[in-house]
Amino acid sequence: MLSREDWLPLARKLDWDYSYVREEEVFPEVISGRPWLPHSEWKDWEESFKTSYREYVDNQYEKDMAVYAVRDAVGRLENFQTLAAPWINSLKVHAAALPLAEFTGVIGNLRGARFGRDSAWRTMATFGALDEYRHTQIPLLLFHQLVRWDSQFDWAHKFYHTNNWFAVAARHFFDELTLGQNAIEFHIATNFILETGFTNLQFVGLASLARESSDHMFERMVTSIQTDEARHAQIGHPVLAVVMKHDPKYVQYLVDKWFWRNWRLFSILTGLSTDYLTALDQRPYSFKEFMEEWIIDQFLRTLEEFGLKKPWYWDIFLDELDIYHHMIYASAYTYRATLWFDFVIPSPAERKWLRQKYPKYWDDMDAVWEQVIERWRTTGTGAANELAVHGTAMPTFCDLCQLPLSAGTPRQNTANVLVQDGRKYIFCSEPCRWIFLQEPERYANHKDIVKRVLSGEAPAQLPNLLTEYFRLTPDTWGTDVHHGNYDWLIARKASVA
Amino acid sequence: MAIPLYGFLQGDTIGLLVLADEGDTVLALARKLQEAASIRVARNDQMDVVHGGKLIDPALTVAQAGLQALDRFDVIPRPKL
Repeated sequence: MLSREDWLPLARKLDWDYSYVREEEVFPEVISGRPWLPHSEWKDWEESFKTSYREYVDNQYEKDMAVYAVRDAVGRLENFQTLAAPWINSLKVHAAALPLAEFTGVIGNLRGARFGRDSAWRTMATFGALDEYRHTQIPLLLFHQLVRWDSQFDWAHKFYHTNNWFAVAARHFFDELTLGQNAIEFHIATNFILETGFTNLQFVGLASLARESSDHMFERMVTSIQTDEARHAQIGHPVLAVVMKHDPKYVQYLVDKWFWRNWRLFSILTGLSTDYLTALDQRPYSFKEFMEEWIIDQFLRTLEEFGLKKPWYWDIFLDELDIYHHMIYASAYTYRATLWFDFVIPSPAERKWLRQKYPKYWDDMDAVWEQVIERWRTTGTGAANELAVHGTAMPTFCDLCQLPLSAGTPRQNTANVLVQDGRKYIFCSEPCRWIFLQEPERYANHKDIVKRVLSGEAPAQLPNLLTEYFRLTPDTWGTDVHHGNYDWLIARKASVA
Repeated sequence: MAIPLYGFLQGDTIGLLVLADEGDTVLALARKLQEAASIRVARNDQMDVVHGGKLIDPALTVAQAGLQALDRFDVIPRPKL
């Protein structure tokens, strides 16, 4: 019997020459990806973990047992009920966005497990698929028990099955990234950019936020997921290294495209949690500080290591660090009934903190919050007045990222219109327009929410849009956590009166 | 005929869909956008309207100003003295 050291290299590197089919037929370019290269170019594909299936199962079993132990100790309903209300709403955002997105990662990895160009790559992608399946099941399991307490947690399973505007945006992203993608682009975009660039470190940051918020269950969950990410993210590097040798322009294009697409969703998920939905005294850093310390430095180092350049829109991206998620949060607050979680208005102390952290544009954002507060003061606080402190006009969305036209600054929104082949498109930003123009045939036929309303596919009246199309109900749509009843708002109202 | 337009009010955090009538004046259109955005931006009677990079006369109708479906227009409040 062979020892592990002798057996594993044979099992991991099990490639052979085909005698009655051509290699191009076994690995068609359309699904394996481009550039199409003979296996001789891929045969040195390698990664550092070199795990056997048995070792994988043993490790994952240990990790699952650790998660279950923490769940039994601190993951009961009564533990969640002690958490601060804003943080619980951060959990609802992640509960919806995470599990089924991870499931699309199963599909993407399985494509790599069949159409990856080297056997070691295919082996690793098989483990990646199992990882992502785990990342689907753990949050579904943990959040399911919360549904009987708060039905907004039902969106953990429901979210991607609705036409809620944020679900449309997330599906547009994951359909392209994972479900409908060839193996090469999938592994570069997912492992190298999303995971190495963003989520691997995001999970470290999220675990830290959860710890500060005394949410030890969520902390354990994301830490456990992160250890898997750290392993399967390694698939991307050797794929990228081979493609770099043959078509560096294509790799640069993939980096430019996918960094931006990732940034759009990431800034909303993480930005809102970090700067708004974590209690002020529990924020270890601002979102911008997190990005600068955890994401940007290491991403730039990785690009340099592979001979890649910063994306062409780097200055736009750096500027967005100061403003984009603030624009989104204020917009979403005033359209909170279009979402499945609740919001808070930043308190005077939080606004002071935000001004310190984001001095460049905060004056303009602060004016928006003053106006929202003024509306609560005028209409009166309380649940009955929720919809009087809410937008009534149809918000608008980008034809690429499908997110609200909230880019740029309050002084200068960067939305721009494109007329192409007799149709009009609107984009939130120059990078979204650029991505569209690189592959218009991929994106042109997708309708954003506004176009669906105008074509009669979705209801035009906001209440009908919420209930019939976004699948929300008055019991589950987002409200202000306090319905405007903030001590500081009431105190100021009294002093004004 | 109703014309859907993308309206951007300076000071706001999001663009809004505004349904205009061809016969509406540009001023009425601008007020409609201000009203729709009033939860986030205080109303201001003094404002300019920009379309295609040019200031447009508020007395013109939407049709006379050349605004077409799914165009972008901007409303820029003038600073209060």
